[in-house]
Amino acid sequence: MLDSLIPALILVENEGSRMSTVWEKVQHPDLSKFLVIAAILFIIGVAGVLTRRNIIVIFMSIELILNAANLNFIAFSRYLQQTGNANAVAGQIFTVFIIVVAAAEAAIGLGIVIALYRNKETILLDQIDLLKW
Amino acid sequence: MTLSGWEAVFFWVFAIAAIFAGLLTVMARNTVHSALFLISSLISVAALFIILGAEFIAGVQILVYVGGVMVLFLFVIMLVNVGLEERGNIPIFNRSTQVGASLIFCLLMVGGLLFAINNGVHALEERDKISEGAVMLPSQDKSLAVAATGTARISKETERVGNSLYRYASLPFEIASVLLLVAIIGSVMLARTIKQEAAANDVAPEVLLDEIKHEPELAKFVHEEGDPVSETNA
Repeated sequence: MLDSLIPALILVENEGSRMSTVWEKVQHPDLSKFLVIAAILFIIGVAGVLTRRNIIVIFMSIELILNAANLNFIAFSRYLQQTGNANAVAGQIFTVFIIVVAAAEAAIGLGIVIALYRNKETILLDQIDLLKW
Repeated sequence: MTLSGWEAVFFWVFAIAAIFAGLLTVMARNTVHSALFLISSLISVAALFIILGAEFIAGVQILVYVGGVMVLFLFVIMLVNVGLEERGNIPIFNRSTQVGASLIFCLLMVGGLLFAINNGVHALEERDKISEGAVMLPSQDKSLAVAATGTARISKETERVGNSLYRYASLPFEIASVLLLVAIIGSVMLARTIKQEAAANDVAPEVLLDEIKHEPELAKFVHEEGDPVSETNA
């Protein structure tokens, strides 16, 4: 009876220590947590681009994707600061340029949406099939 | 890089808020709701930037994205007709086979990314031999000046960003300004109506004559210029 109980107790002990290390990691989020959050935001954006019909929501999903990339850049910038890298701020500068490009892209894209709506009277992507045979 | 204490609490709060707001952006039926959820997602990510010590980028994110780009989005939503989608008369997603295929693709990408991040970060930390809390962050540096309220210290982060921006990235900076100029001119050109284009004599004569059938008002531009009519008559 006791012989069979001891391995089970050890197993419970191991389980408990694994739980406590998980809790430890939750209490002290590191670089990988930021990367996971950015990856999830990226996937949500990709799913939005692939599944929605409304062209404006697709543009918003693209903004979500760009924002996930920004989060990656900033997280690595902070990580490199801690390792004492002299060029750690480069990540933040990349982010500034990504934001600039995103703003330009949104302005042009929404101009195209307005022109498209004037000609086709729709913003649903599956109804805009002028070049489809 | 390890957060602890309240930083960790705020990290989880804003990370979960960003992910849920992002999900609702994609799934909301009303396009205006989508835009508002995207705004909250962007603000949550800006809070994550502050946690990571990038105050300047967080400010730029809120000013440019929330204050500029999203207002543009809301104006465009107002200009186009999204009523059919909002009232629930038509589906908001593509055909179910397409949605299924793209979700399978996304799940594969999630698996691949999580696997890569797990392995990559471990290797990175082993390479750099991070010792816990050994290096002090610039924002926690005791030598920094105290802010006016006396409650915080002024971070030199923004100063460093500005220095590197002009020292190492001055050419990309100028190129970015040219890009913004191109975007302004391009969007003004794209958003013109046929009437405005005709007033600027920017429409091909045949197209203009074709458009006059729908909009007789355009005829005055033809007579003012004189050329298109005489050319086509000859």
